[in-house]
Amino acid sequence: MKHEEPDILKRIGKDAGFKVPENYFAEFNARMAQELPEVTITEVNEKPSLWLRVRPYVYLAAMFAGVWCTMKVFTGITTNQMSTQQRMSEIAPGIIMEQNADEFLNYGVASDYDIMTYEDSVQMDVEIDANK
Amino acid sequence: MRPMAHFFCRYRKITCNFVPTLMASRNTYDEAAVVEQLHHPDTARAAFGQVIEHYSSSLYWQIRRMVVDHDDANDVLQNTFIKAWTSIDNFRGDAKLSTWLYKIAINESITFINKKKVMNQVSIDDDDSFLVNSLESDEWFDGDDAQLKLQKAIATLPEKQRLVFNMRYFDEMKYDDMSEILGTSVGALKASYHHALKKIEAFFEESD
Repeated sequence: MKHEEPDILKRIGKDAGFKVPENYFAEFNARMAQELPEVTITEVNEKPSLWLRVRPYVYLAAMFAGVWCTMKVFTGITTNQMSTQQRMSEIAPGIIMEQNADEFLNYGVASDYDIMTYEDSVQMDVEIDANK
Repeated sequence: MRPMAHFFCRYRKITCNFVPTLMASRNTYDEAAVVEQLHHPDTARAAFGQVIEHYSSSLYWQIRRMVVDHDDANDVLQNTFIKAWTSIDNFRGDAKLSTWLYKIAINESITFINKKKVMNQVSIDDDDSFLVNSLESDEWFDGDDAQLKLQKAIATLPEKQRLVFNMRYFDEMKYDDMSEILGTSVGALKASYHHALKKIEAFFEESD
């Protein structure tokens, strides 16, 4: 965007009308350099130590190791949880069979052989109890 | 020095107490070399002498257009260099040295004007017209009526517009450089300059 300068600025030009004493800048430069206070300069060491050079890589490696450990821990927990669930699913049908046998039989799902086997086992249990 | 090089660098505190050396006869100014020397205790003072020599004139005029009075500009310029010297450790070469110095000069100018406002019992919200009240009798101003009127018009501008106008009109500074110094987008700077021109034009029309 080009700004059109007002005519008055074109007439005045770039001179603001300010002036300075003669030799002002030369004298100022000399005086200023003399008047600079004492300061502590922090020297930059061009040859950094071995530790400073390898430090970023060590930090990077430590970060990856941390991520790997975290993943390992979570993977272990998940595997344990899965094996517990698997065991539960294997045990569950047996428990259900024993607990709900009468209900199971009443619905007529079992075959005659199953019913006979079940009745025999009940009979045997009764006899064992009676012999005690 | 490259920024990454600084990241890996080790620093050592050393007190700099060398005799000041002014290289008045130096013709060439190598900014990269000077910046490098500024960070070494044995070369820092001499290097800063070169910085003073190289930037005193341009910084003076920038300050002078803000504070108007020569003696005030002289004081502010001195404060600018002392502040730059005492905080030279903060300058790590990521930005241009000129940008850093201009920033300090502008901050010092604004601080000075605000202090002067308090001393002259001028409201902090008022414009800076009080700065040009005694310009006609100033021995270091030899402008004609039009130039005097221009200074009065500039003094009515808000601070940011005044800075932008001075940098663009008198110094013919690029918008990109101004953007770095003032921390404002190029678009906003162009808008500020446009508003400043309109206000100055209106000032002249009203006073004619």
